[in-house]
Amino acid sequence: MSRSRALYHMVRADFLERVRRYSFLLTLAFSVYLGYAVNSGQVTLRLGAYRGVDNSAWLGSVIGLVATVWLTLVGFYVVKNSIQRDRQTRVGQVLAATPMSKSFYALGKALSNFAVLAAMVLVLALAALVIQLSHGADSHIDLFALLAPALILGLSAVAVTAALAVLFESLPALRGGVGNIFYFFLWTFLLTESVGGVIGSGAASSLQTFKDYSGITSVMGQMRAQLQQFDPQYGDGASFGFGNASTSTKTFLWTGVKWSSTLVFSRGLWLGIAVGVALLAALFFDRFDPARDGLGIRRKQRPVASSKSLGGSPGLPSFDAQPAQRSVAHLVPVSHTGSRTRFFALVLAELRLMLRSHAWWWYVVAAGLIIACLASPLDVARSGILVAAWLWPALIWSQMGTREAQFSTGPLIFSAPHAVRRQLLACYSAGVLVAALTGGGVALHLLFARDIAGLGAWATGALFIPALALALGVTTGSRKFFEALYTAWWYVGPLHHIPRADFMGTTAASSTPVGYLAAALLLVLLAYAWRTVRLANA
Amino acid sequence: MRLEIEKVSKRYRRGVLALETFSLELKPGVLGLLGPNGAGKTTLMSILATITKATDGRVLWNGADIARNPDVLRSVLGYLPQDFGVYPNLSAVEFLEYLAAVKGLDAATAARRIDELLELVNLTEVRKRPLGGYSGGMKQRVGIAQALLNDPQLLIVDEPTAGLDPEERVRFRNLLSDLSGERIVILSTHIVSDVEATATDIALIAKGSLVAHATPEALLLQVEGKVWEWVVSSADLNAAKQQFLISSTTRRSDGVHVRVLGDEAPANAKPVTPNLEDAYLYCLSEHRSAAQPGTRRGVKA
Repeated sequence: MSRSRALYHMVRADFLERVRRYSFLLTLAFSVYLGYAVNSGQVTLRLGAYRGVDNSAWLGSVIGLVATVWLTLVGFYVVKNSIQRDRQTRVGQVLAATPMSKSFYALGKALSNFAVLAAMVLVLALAALVIQLSHGADSHIDLFALLAPALILGLSAVAVTAALAVLFESLPALRGGVGNIFYFFLWTFLLTESVGGVIGSGAASSLQTFKDYSGITSVMGQMRAQLQQFDPQYGDGASFGFGNASTSTKTFLWTGVKWSSTLVFSRGLWLGIAVGVALLAALFFDRFDPARDGLGIRRKQRPVASSKSLGGSPGLPSFDAQPAQRSVAHLVPVSHTGSRTRFFALVLAELRLMLRSHAWWWYVVAAGLIIACLASPLDVARSGILVAAWLWPALIWSQMGTREAQFSTGPLIFSAPHAVRRQLLACYSAGVLVAALTGGGVALHLLFARDIAGLGAWATGALFIPALALALGVTTGSRKFFEALYTAWWYVGPLHHIPRADFMGTTAASSTPVGYLAAALLLVLLAYAWRTVRLANA
Repeated sequence: MRLEIEKVSKRYRRGVLALETFSLELKPGVLGLLGPNGAGKTTLMSILATITKATDGRVLWNGADIARNPDVLRSVLGYLPQDFGVYPNLSAVEFLEYLAAVKGLDAATAARRIDELLELVNLTEVRKRPLGGYSGGMKQRVGIAQALLNDPQLLIVDEPTAGLDPEERVRFRNLLSDLSGERIVILSTHIVSDVEATATDIALIAKGSLVAHATPEALLLQVEGKVWEWVVSSADLNAAKQQFLISSTTRRSDGVHVRVLGDEAPANAKPVTPNLEDAYLYCLSEHRSAAQPGTRRGVKA
């Protein structure tokens, strides 16, 4: 009994700490936006030329799938900070000194993550109700049909997301930006596996039902079967996502998800997997041991001291262990009258700071990508290798605008003259230099080929990416928003050469440099204005 | 060189009034800013360091308003905040090089200055090791070095001895004394002995208001003849604490030697020479009495 009480209070405290933050409102706002997207037709579920009549069953199913597909992606980045917060606030060290077990802590954190994501699911479920009340074609409200998909499919899916966030935070290799990027690909993989049944034909098999992380195969499989009864001419076309609903000209009556024992059991299985993942996380959790804090410090270097003071540490310099050779009287004065703005030195200092935290192999891969760009034909380099070369430094760009908050160096930096303008622009310039260096092979190719339009598109990409990183870093104070958004955008746009989304200009057809150039300028201005206002109102 | 703080108030968003019409004028020397926790010291330091702005009033550096033109002060400012971080993957030299660039120092001056300062704070030996492996005291010394990078005319140090061991504290106090002269040094702390050793002037702050601004000698003069040593039994100690303002107690074989502050001596008490801690407690007690009549504990009830 006392253990369950302790677990309850742990989850409660963590949950309250989160929901009392301003950012939680933004989280709920995202759920409201998803509801709005369904309502306005930005998110659509289509079966060939068909869509369902706007009744409780159809709206509930669409909202349920929105919850399982989108909240499992965005929700991960929302909740992947619960252990980090305990580490930063040093509450973790207090907890580590209690009898609490690692598995208990991991389960508590997973439950707290789940509570936050469940709040997002509930907001979405309420959105379904509002949509039907506001303009549903069928005014009859069937609460079970309306809410069950979000609550059964959505909650079991986000439970896995909640546990995965704890696992990622427990693994030093996945705790930072690498984990943020890796999760996007893991989510893509899980979704692809989940959607496999939709792509195939016929109703979902039991195996497909169990593999169906999002529930999309189960729900759409039932829909297709019902539509085929309604219209035997219907093939097997189906799509779900952001898109224009105007192509769906016909409607059919969807009566709702049939909650078979296999389907219910499969959702229970995913809940069990969530508990398993949380317990797995406990195996890797370091219990806030500072010797295993995974700060990224090169462990091969001998730590200078482990204690707060060095008074008793033999062989290590204390302030007064040996009289300093130099006294204040011997310091050479610095002239203040001749102080000039040395911008380029600051750009180099920012560049060095950006590149300093990476291991040698990072540079080897970056150099390999540059050489591959130079050695490959122009079209291969531009449409293929450049895409990889500009994903590689994502973790360097994601530091931009966040370092001062992450390492509490703001007071030291922002008390320097012209700090906001100089430091921000120097940071941006260093980010552009990183883009120019890593994608330099393609630029040289384009230059030799006298492809001015291509060079312009490349330059726009080099200006846009750091601008996006800087603006997101300054406004959110966190690296993960850029890491998540950039990876997803990179996947949708440059990797698949989708026009308008291809900010790198990887092909002549998909390149839209003027818009991205303007966006880069606006993003830099946004970062500058945001930081100026924040500091002025500190 | 003059720093004027004119009727400065600071109210935070949730309505907390951290500073209230605070005024002070400073000239070269070391000002010890003393006050209990939550008195408003760090808020005042942040305003003077141009990190935050006053809600009302203004701060003038050589006549220029630092809220309107912060860079006038920033180019000659050295600031060691109470809480600051470092980049754990950089060495001390690299971190100081970065901050020197941010402060606009040229490469040659920065290199020379960094060498000198690392020697001054005795970190030359570990200058190339990542800061992530430094102890709290060593990071504090890096903080001191960065504050002196641009040879500041105004040096603001907020609780600088927190995290330093006794030896390091003594060394830091000596350093502060050496640094005064042709610059203004503001030392904010609640450790009276730090101020006693270094300050040429003392400002007492409580609940966001200036309680006193005087030289250490003038503050001590205020409690001359008001400090008594009184020997009580252990059993009577609690009763004595209820009746008198006590600045310290020492247990000895003949009983507990109690240092009492008050206009009148307890029975059988001997007058003793006051120290700065007595003066600090007395001034705060007087301030509280003035703010809330009837709460004074300096004399028998």
